[in-house]
Amino acid sequence: MNKFLRSIFLVDLFQGLWVTFRNQNPKYIYTEQYPGERPKVAERYRGAPRLNINPDNGETLCIACNLCALACPETLIVVGSERNEQTRRKDLTTFTYDLSRCMFCGLCEDACPVDALELTQDFELAAYTRDGAIWDRQMLEEGPRPTRYKF
Amino acid sequence: MPETTFLDSTELVLNMGPQHPSTHGVLRVILKLDGEKVMGTECVIGYLHRGVEKIGENRTYLQFAPYVDRMDYVAAVSNGLGYCLAVEKLLNIEAPPRAQVTRVILTELNRVASHLLWLGTHALDIGAITPVFYTFREREEVLKIFENYCGARLTTHAFRIGGLQYELYDGFEEQVKAFCDMFLPKVDEYEELLTNNRIWVNRLKGVGILNADECKEFGVTGPVLRAAGVSWDLRKAQPYSGYEQYDFEIPTAQNGDTYDRYGVRMREMRQSVRIIRQAVDKIPAGPIGKTPKVIKPPVGEAYVSIEAPKGELGYFIVSDNSTQPYRVRVRPPSFINLQALDRMVRGGLVADVVAIIGTIDIVLGEVDR
Amino acid sequence: MAATPWEGELPAALKQRFGDQISECSTYLGQNFAVVKAEAVIPILEFLKLEADFDYLVDITAVDYPNRTERFELFYILYSFARNERVRIKTAIADGYKPGTATAVHSVANWLEREVFDMFGVQFAGHPDMRRILMPEEWEGFPLRKDYSIIKQDDRWVKENLGIESGQ
Repeated sequence: MNKFLRSIFLVDLFQGLWVTFRNQNPKYIYTEQYPGERPKVAERYRGAPRLNINPDNGETLCIACNLCALACPETLIVVGSERNEQTRRKDLTTFTYDLSRCMFCGLCEDACPVDALELTQDFELAAYTRDGAIWDRQMLEEGPRPTRYKF
Repeated sequence: MPETTFLDSTELVLNMGPQHPSTHGVLRVILKLDGEKVMGTECVIGYLHRGVEKIGENRTYLQFAPYVDRMDYVAAVSNGLGYCLAVEKLLNIEAPPRAQVTRVILTELNRVASHLLWLGTHALDIGAITPVFYTFREREEVLKIFENYCGARLTTHAFRIGGLQYELYDGFEEQVKAFCDMFLPKVDEYEELLTNNRIWVNRLKGVGILNADECKEFGVTGPVLRAAGVSWDLRKAQPYSGYEQYDFEIPTAQNGDTYDRYGVRMREMRQSVRIIRQAVDKIPAGPIGKTPKVIKPPVGEAYVSIEAPKGELGYFIVSDNSTQPYRVRVRPPSFINLQALDRMVRGGLVADVVAIIGTIDIVLGEVDR
Repeated sequence: MAATPWEGELPAALKQRFGDQISECSTYLGQNFAVVKAEAVIPILEFLKLEADFDYLVDITAVDYPNRTERFELFYILYSFARNERVRIKTAIADGYKPGTATAVHSVANWLEREVFDMFGVQFAGHPDMRRILMPEEWEGFPLRKDYSIIKQDDRWVKENLGIESGQ
């Protein structure tokens, strides 16, 4: 009998509607107004790669050891180096990073012994061409410059 | 005297997918219809085939780990756990306790996230549009924890062979506990929306029945099997990663229909929260494990399986004592559960096909690999 | 660590029933497996299902060893709900040999065997629907064979169906 009354008075449907009504409360608003309001990603976020430079003298931290290229599952990193006869070390000449195939697994970052290669918090990586997704050393050191919108 | 058969003209062949919104990806189902009644189905799969097993043979053990996340991309953490456990088994090593507890917390959070996505989309398929907004809102909280922990939200690559890569961040416990406290009332809210709703009940009760024997015959595991009354969960049957320390129940139901599977998954989310709460309280101090410098398992093979949100996820790895696996075989739960679709929809109505595909909870990335 | 002999009731029963068709019963890393002759696989699956409660066929898969005369190794992974135990049945077959289908014993074998055929080209005799499952139907070559390189593809199929020279 109780069940019958509940179904006559649409109790189940009103119960659901009450939930929906409760959630109208503005404090439940969850939408982010991107790009007007930029999301703050986590500290450990794995985004655009960056080749760090020493802030003191502006030289690259990379020692051209090629470990990142070996660690990369997609082999999308190409490190070019030449031997410096004075310091008897390898100097970095070119560094190419193909973002179009990168899956941001972070293995290159883990492999780097001197923390030169780092995945940063930049996440806007769209490019107009396929070539635009292949970053060279200069791009990797400067980082992307996404458009900032003002509303 | 010719046999009396159905005239061919009464049978209509209807293509559902691969671009159908409620096939959850690129599944194509060819339906043979007699009016509204489904006489038979044939699944055409492989649209998302990327050759993950072949890639595995050409990558080192460590390099292959990010690829497994891309199979079942809504439960990437579970995939990663299964793979790490399989390689650890071959190497005969074990992750340290701190790593194990962290793994349990993250996989259970992932189970919640996976079930939330399932609930939202399944309800959306059937016509209940509201729950998807709420479930995605709560799922976002889980993804934030993942993002804070390992830097990625979906394809996390959270674990490494031999332990973890990342130490827990400050405030991890608080964030997880806050999520648990916030989440349980939300599950009640979903139940208020759906469990007694007459449209929901009428659409799901008695639809797509698969009983226990059929489940075993078709190798169906996970919530579908449990809804048929078999109380079997790998976390209890063959505990891994320290699951034997936690106190939880295996939710089961009797009828094995779509409604029961819904109920089982709802209760599973609650049990997951129960496990997370126990685990968060006793994260031991200590090392988080270190990836071996050279991963070269001795010649041999091992099959390791875990309870993924969708069922039994197994990894069968053959090693030839080199840095690359000789063969990686993934036993994907979605692929095998999908095979039972034909048995479940036969004799039902076209509209129920959508409900049944939703209730198996397939992810096409895993079906096609 | 090498494989150790697998002792117990089940291997004894298997050996008694099937005799010299079972060449090895071993345990490696706590996982039991039996190496058997190819023609004995289906009777063994049936025996295990009916008399030892191994009612759940977890997986069928193959491994390619191109240098061996019996090129493929087939694996059948079984699980028993009643015993909470796993067993692997392992057999070696030559290229072109058609092992019997397990679909009559376990329905789940249908798609699994199709996948093995798709990836390795092992035809199963008596299978109700021996077609490719993941790759396109007209695709040539079997991708998971070891002589199929990772960048190889069926150029003709790609050109005809996708209209491009390379699928990369």
